Amino acid sequence: MGSHDNDDMGFQHRNEGSLNCPSSGMSTNPLPEKVSRMAMSSISMFKPSNAPDPFFGSGWDPLVSLSQSDNFGGSSVASQSEYTNHPYPVAMETQGMSSTSHLVQYPSDSSFVEMVPKLPCFGSGSFSEMVGSFGLPECAGISNSGCVANYNPNRDGGIDRTSTMGAQSHDDRQISEEGALGSSPNGKRRKRVPESSPNKNAEGELNKDMSGESSDYLKEQDEKKTKQEENAASNLRGKQTGKQAKDNSQSGDAAKDSYIHVRARRGQATNSHSLAERVRREKISERMRLLQELVPGCNKITGKAVMLDEIINYVQSLQQQVEFLSMKLATVNPEVNIDIERILSKDILNSRSGGGAIFGFSPGMNSSHPYPHGIFQGTLPSMPSTAPQFPSLPQTVLDNELQGLFHMGFDSSSNIDNLGQNASRLKPEL
Amino acid sequence: MNPQLLSLSPNNSSLKSRFTLGFLRALKRLNMQTSSSPSPPQTVSSSSSSSPREMCRRYLRIRIAADASMASAVGSRRAWSRTLLLKIRNRQFRSCNSSARRISMKKKCSGRKMKKKLKCDKEINELRKFVPGGEAMDACSLLDEAAHYIKCLNTQVKVMTRIADIYSAT
Repeated sequence: MGSHDNDDMGFQHRNEGSLNCPSSGMSTNPLPEKVSRMAMSSISMFKPSNAPDPFFGSGWDPLVSLSQSDNFGGSSVASQSEYTNHPYPVAMETQGMSSTSHLVQYPSDSSFVEMVPKLPCFGSGSFSEMVGSFGLPECAGISNSGCVANYNPNRDGGIDRTSTMGAQSHDDRQISEEGALGSSPNGKRRKRVPESSPNKNAEGELNKDMSGESSDYLKEQDEKKTKQEENAASNLRGKQTGKQAKDNSQSGDAAKDSYIHVRARRGQATNSHSLAERVRREKISERMRLLQELVPGCNKITGKAVMLDEIINYVQSLQQQVEFLSMKLATVNPEVNIDIERILSKDILNSRSGGGAIFGFSPGMNSSHPYPHGIFQGTLPSMPSTAPQFPSLPQTVLDNELQGLFHMGFDSSSNIDNLGQNASRLKPEL
Repeated sequence: MNPQLLSLSPNNSSLKSRFTLGFLRALKRLNMQTSSSPSPPQTVSSSSSSSPREMCRRYLRIRIAADASMASAVGSRRAWSRTLLLKIRNRQFRSCNSSARRISMKKKCSGRKMKKKLKCDKEINELRKFVPGGEAMDACSLLDEAAHYIKCLNTQVKVMTRIADIYSAT
């Protein structure tokens, strides 16, 4: 997918620009997504690669315990737990997991070798920033020293490996730690913004996030974030070293289910208001997409105004159908029979073929309702048939077929005969 | 006879089954009311039950019953169902409370900050008229509610069509 290619490029750029290690705190931000994917791929490789790497096993323990206590759930957790042999639940996030295939090509890239030595510097810089924000200076010290010291012996081992996964896992450890730390406080600090919260809350959350760790970047993303990454990764290059603290402000909306992490694009305003606006606009467009699926025949419509018009027409037509049907029921339904209710319930719930009858029953529906015909043909196949004794009807349901099914569905009870007689007697004016 | 239907609980059953049961019960109640009226059903000229006024009244009651059973099947989870139930109950009571509630809702609507300057504001305001309770919602939740409302309307139409088929098929 294109987004993954962008992430690849972003990752390369991140590493190339990581020479300014101390100020490259923000460069960790695109990583987490990478981390989640790499962590997935590296899970299987962690155990064998543990042996030549005592540093990671011991040095990061305080960090691990920190992340543990912070109770974050992400793929980075899994990766960390793997290599620190920690009894932590391996919770893999599903986003971006399918994209691990592209990582296979990654180490064969010649630039990968150049990138590898930069990682410790990069990692330490970002790590110390992240750790510092948690108020753990000793961990920062560890990260700085241990990172540089012990990286080299593993480098050769990582590169010499023919299997690409091994080399990736090397980076993964670095990145996943940063990612883990990054994700842990976020999981705690961010409040879950409910969907119905008004704009104010989103902005307030945004301000809070901006004032908080600007270097934190959460890994739990949904497809929305990957899309933003797509746009943002290419724009990141211009912003790597500069005001990354500002640029990588996030909004306080949904993570997997309640956070959306937004990156300000190049040339766009980065204050909280416009970011919140952007988030809301994206929420709205996502809802519009859902509505597009609900309303039949709206797949080709692009444009919010036209789509909204269609939606309004559809709702209107549905409401009018309900009115028409209730009028019809008012005229044809005078009889009361208690047993009928049960039979009817069973029949209604079991038989999913009632849609086709509307053709014959809607003389009152004039031409302003293109929907009824479309609806029922469209919805018929989507209705699951739960009762095994009723065969599912084909799409083109004719009245006589319906009658046949009707008779099939009903038990031969005298109630039906009564109903039939009474109904025929009592619908004179129809 | 399906024994499962008799013991449906609101949590286990689907929206469709909850609505079906509720609506059928309401229909039964309505039919009992009309059949208890003095006109006997065995004569051909059941004029009183089929007079336009009577039919109109029946139609209105059935429509209200359909909306009410739909909203009850959804429950209070959705803003539109809450609004519908409120409207129906207010209509039943016909007290001054209803006007007070309407006023409060209008106040809420006017006091809302016009933050959204989308190009589609007109259409969104149009949509508000059709989704119950849409006046006091922001665009985002309005679309959310509209999606759920459309889904429920679909169910409602399907079930009512089926019922109408069954009742009218001879």
